[in-house]
Amino acid sequence: MVIQSRNLQKKYKVFEKHPGIVGSIKNLFHREFTENFAVQPFDLEAHRGEFIGLLGPNGAGKTSLMKMFTGITVPSGGSLQVCGHDPSKREIDFRRKIALVMGQKSQLWWDIPALDSFLLLQKYYELNEVQFQARLSEMAALLDVEKLLKIHVRKLSLGERMKMELIASLLHQPEVIFLDEPTIGLDVIAQEKLRAFLLDYHDKNDTTMVLTSHYMADVEALCDRIVLLLNGSKCFDGNIKQFEQILGKEKYLSFHFSEAVDPQNSIFSGFDPKFSHENSKVELRVPEEKLNEVSLSILQQYTVNDYHTEKLPIERVMKTLLENPEIMKTNVSTT
Amino acid sequence: MSALLSKWFQTIKISWSNLLAYRLNFFLLIIGPAFVFFFVKYNLWYSIFQGDKTILVGGYTLEQMIHYQFFTLITALIAQSSNGMKLSSDIRLGRISVFLIYPFNFWQYHCAHFLAFQSIQVIVGLLSISIFYYLGLIYNLSMTSCIYGFSFCIIVGVLWFSIQYLIGLMAFWLEETWILRVSFLTISNFLSGAIIPLELYPKWLVNGLWYTPFPYLTFVPVKVFQGQFDMVNTAFFVIVFWTFVFACISYFTWRKGLRLYTGAGM
Repeated sequence: MVIQSRNLQKKYKVFEKHPGIVGSIKNLFHREFTENFAVQPFDLEAHRGEFIGLLGPNGAGKTSLMKMFTGITVPSGGSLQVCGHDPSKREIDFRRKIALVMGQKSQLWWDIPALDSFLLLQKYYELNEVQFQARLSEMAALLDVEKLLKIHVRKLSLGERMKMELIASLLHQPEVIFLDEPTIGLDVIAQEKLRAFLLDYHDKNDTTMVLTSHYMADVEALCDRIVLLLNGSKCFDGNIKQFEQILGKEKYLSFHFSEAVDPQNSIFSGFDPKFSHENSKVELRVPEEKLNEVSLSILQQYTVNDYHTEKLPIERVMKTLLENPEIMKTNVSTT
Repeated sequence: MSALLSKWFQTIKISWSNLLAYRLNFFLLIIGPAFVFFFVKYNLWYSIFQGDKTILVGGYTLEQMIHYQFFTLITALIAQSSNGMKLSSDIRLGRISVFLIYPFNFWQYHCAHFLAFQSIQVIVGLLSISIFYYLGLIYNLSMTSCIYGFSFCIIVGVLWFSIQYLIGLMAFWLEETWILRVSFLTISNFLSGAIIPLELYPKWLVNGLWYTPFPYLTFVPVKVFQGQFDMVNTAFFVIVFWTFVFACISYFTWRKGLRLYTGAGM
């Protein structure tokens, strides 16, 4: 077991202040606060080689979990073991086994070339020259940044910097890697390259990876397991296929009509119809067992230029769940 | 052991690279405040003496007072640092997160950074003292007192660092620590003899001050530069004592503060 948490909790004190000058003066003598749970009792077991996606809206507790997993913050309750260590003790052995890639925070020194940072990390992780050179040249070649190693980090583009961040985090070949929104702000090409690199690294090294991202493309491409958090609580823990079917076995059915249709037609009702502006296109969410029946009746009633079906994409499942979190109360699925 | 040493040395090297990335900024940071403060004090004492070189204030002639102030400048150039500023911004902006993950501790990184900074300060101090001596602004400076003075200032630098480190750690609780830093600097400027030599203070106050770190920050190093070595041994032990006290408080403050750390900005 690489990660094991039982009833893991994190709560923060949030101070409250009444508005205006009177509130400010009152605040000097007496500060009121409430205790907010960033993470409610949370259980997780992750095995070697798993690639887990931690999903949830902003403020769901994903990053709070990452911080506890890496020992940056101390849990308020429960137990946690990562690679056989209690992260809050921050033992040196533990720190050698993990890596954290933060999309929104750089670990590289801004005013010097990335190579200088790598040389420092070589010493910190006690890598010999052969190991260091081999790993650096391999990763630099894969990420196509060999020519950028001696350029000041501040002069690199966001995509280039992110590649350097990855190299910095992987030089010591950690057993578990935490990726906190690694593709945030990157263009589509850079995102794809980063994903391909991570997937390749994961497959070659059988490393355990935990990813948080708001980009469902990251999750679909990389993760074989999804853990969904809402308001600090785990609402779902399963594979992508199970996640896609969380709203039932439904598919998206799209029709492109030759002319505008009547949106009030009862044929569309009950399937969450989304009409285009001029009512010549519609998108329906249809249970798998009704797919033929619905398609047939629409094709019989209207002249259709084009139609197609697709499974409910993860992005839409996520959007629906975030808009209607109560769904999870009736659809809790765990492995 | 050699692995640990190479971690320290590499951190010192990267700190040098970082510090010297913006050379002008860096030298202004080291030299600027000390020189501005010196010229303020120069004008203050010149006005107090009304330019009269014959009168005595607290046993000092104007020339002796300016000579004293030149040594306070040298002491400041070598010993004073602004490490606390970097530390508090590291905590406030959540930059310490990476050091909680690296197998090299945060205090080790800051100590190595301090050593890098201190080594450059020593060079700046050496250059300054050579120029002042060449221009005749300081005199009666023997090689012995120069070596003693520099060595003493480096020890004082460690004391300064331990104080600054503790103040910087307050960022776990305070949004801004500059108020603490400025307050401490202002108080220490008065109580360390950086503005007024301690001979001019009431005896009861000075007797009390000897038990505090303040006189050792400026007054004692200046006297060592001026060839008064009688208080060096006592001063050394007092500095070691206070450095140890501040280091212990910092250790417990760090442990307590870390429980409050939220890793902002991640």
